[in-house]
Amino acid sequence: MSDSTDPLVQFSKALVARADAAKNAVAALRLGHGRHVTAMLWQSGVVVASEQALPRKEEFELVAPGGSILTAKVAGRDPSTNIAILRTAESIAAPAIAVGEAQAGSVAVAIGADGIGGASARLGIVNLTGPEWHSSRGGLIDRRIVLDIRLAHREEGGFVFDAAGACLGMSTFGPRGQVIVIPAATIQRVVPQLAKDGRIARGWLGIALQAVAVPDALRESADQSSGLMVMSVVENGPAALAGIVAGDIILSVDGTSAHRLRKIARHFGSDSIGRKADIRLIRGGAVMTVQTTIAERQAA
Amino acid sequence: MSEAASRLVPNERLRVALHALDAPRRAALARTIAEAGHIVVDLQDAADVVLADGSCPAGETRAVVALGGADDDLPGVLPRDADAAQIDAAIRAVAAGLIVRLYGARESGFGAMRETDGHALLTPRELEVLAALAEGSTNKAIARRLDISLHTVKFHVESLFRKLGARTRTEAVAKASERRRRETIML
Repeated sequence: MSDSTDPLVQFSKALVARADAAKNAVAALRLGHGRHVTAMLWQSGVVVASEQALPRKEEFELVAPGGSILTAKVAGRDPSTNIAILRTAESIAAPAIAVGEAQAGSVAVAIGADGIGGASARLGIVNLTGPEWHSSRGGLIDRRIVLDIRLAHREEGGFVFDAAGACLGMSTFGPRGQVIVIPAATIQRVVPQLAKDGRIARGWLGIALQAVAVPDALRESADQSSGLMVMSVVENGPAALAGIVAGDIILSVDGTSAHRLRKIARHFGSDSIGRKADIRLIRGGAVMTVQTTIAERQAA
Repeated sequence: MSEAASRLVPNERLRVALHALDAPRRAALARTIAEAGHIVVDLQDAADVVLADGSCPAGETRAVVALGGADDDLPGVLPRDADAAQIDAAIRAVAAGLIVRLYGARESGFGAMRETDGHALLTPRELEVLAALAEGSTNKAIARRLDISLHTVKFHVESLFRKLGARTRTEAVAKASERRRRETIML
């Protein structure tokens, strides 16, 4: 009955081969109660997982390809890009995998760990792609990639491959159960920093901000219709030392308008640490400028 | 009937320790607990169950129902926007030694930074009125507190309803709290 020229049979066989090869690329991180999430064997001794899927523990049992159980220690977490890395005591070899470009409509295969040393597979297509975006935690994600694939929670954090077997990135859940991909480019950028410092350095002023409309009476002197109101100030933080108080409305930082959150977030990358910043703000009905020095954000 | 199972009896009053850092959110949750017929107690006091907004305090050994938060190993895990009936049911179930999860649901997931459109942004004055609404103040009390006319308070409340897409004061407080959670940035 098996007809090797039948395209559907060939397609299926190709998928089986892919899933089989991918067994050596993923591991399971045990969560207890028989549950696990998936991790990608990224480089020798380093596995990458979805930060949001990983409970706040320092150590996990890792089920390596083939089923042997190792201890994996969390070596860094970055909620802003949803990337966590763990190191294993005995290093596991990571397969060499090429990086691919996601295109809407192209076939995508999502690989998860089955929890006993093997892999599970999901097939779908890339639903849509878009330009870089900023996460709600302020991280830059190099590309927007949404999949038309269902995923079990235990499969989150696994590899997503294209039809040629190239890696598009790591699977994770977006809002409303949407399955999205953290692009390989983002992982390649973030992992070395996480491996070095255990976190991603970010600039910090020590304030919580919420966008507000500038009161009508002040629009003209402020020269903009919205700003960021200081909701709270961290004691002895850079903003507090500069005299910034709750209720101040920030209009701009070094000339960058605080009109949009993501523009301002971009101003506080790792290169901003130690830099002096001029903050234009409204206080007590008057527009003024205060100077502060951007510090480094402490671990969350 | 075992002691634990008896706690599932409807109308049983439970002692609920509330852990919520955000003041308006704390007030709203305290109201939800009280309206469900339970008693809010201090975190240090003896409690049947702890209701935590987001992550629960480190070292908490009692039964916890968490609304949102990263720890999904707790006995009770509900999404942050769980309604009053779900919170009541989860409190009773967890106090009775059961595990509670919302079927088919999951924390909101990794998403993009959200920004409210300019025309729907609240003014500082509206935020003050909102804070008073969250405490359950009447328009008259708000007018006295902010030293403005009753007419002006009504104007602000109507503007809040419009900008937040709310029909009641409770809904306005809930929607503003949700917006604040999603859109507050730490710099």
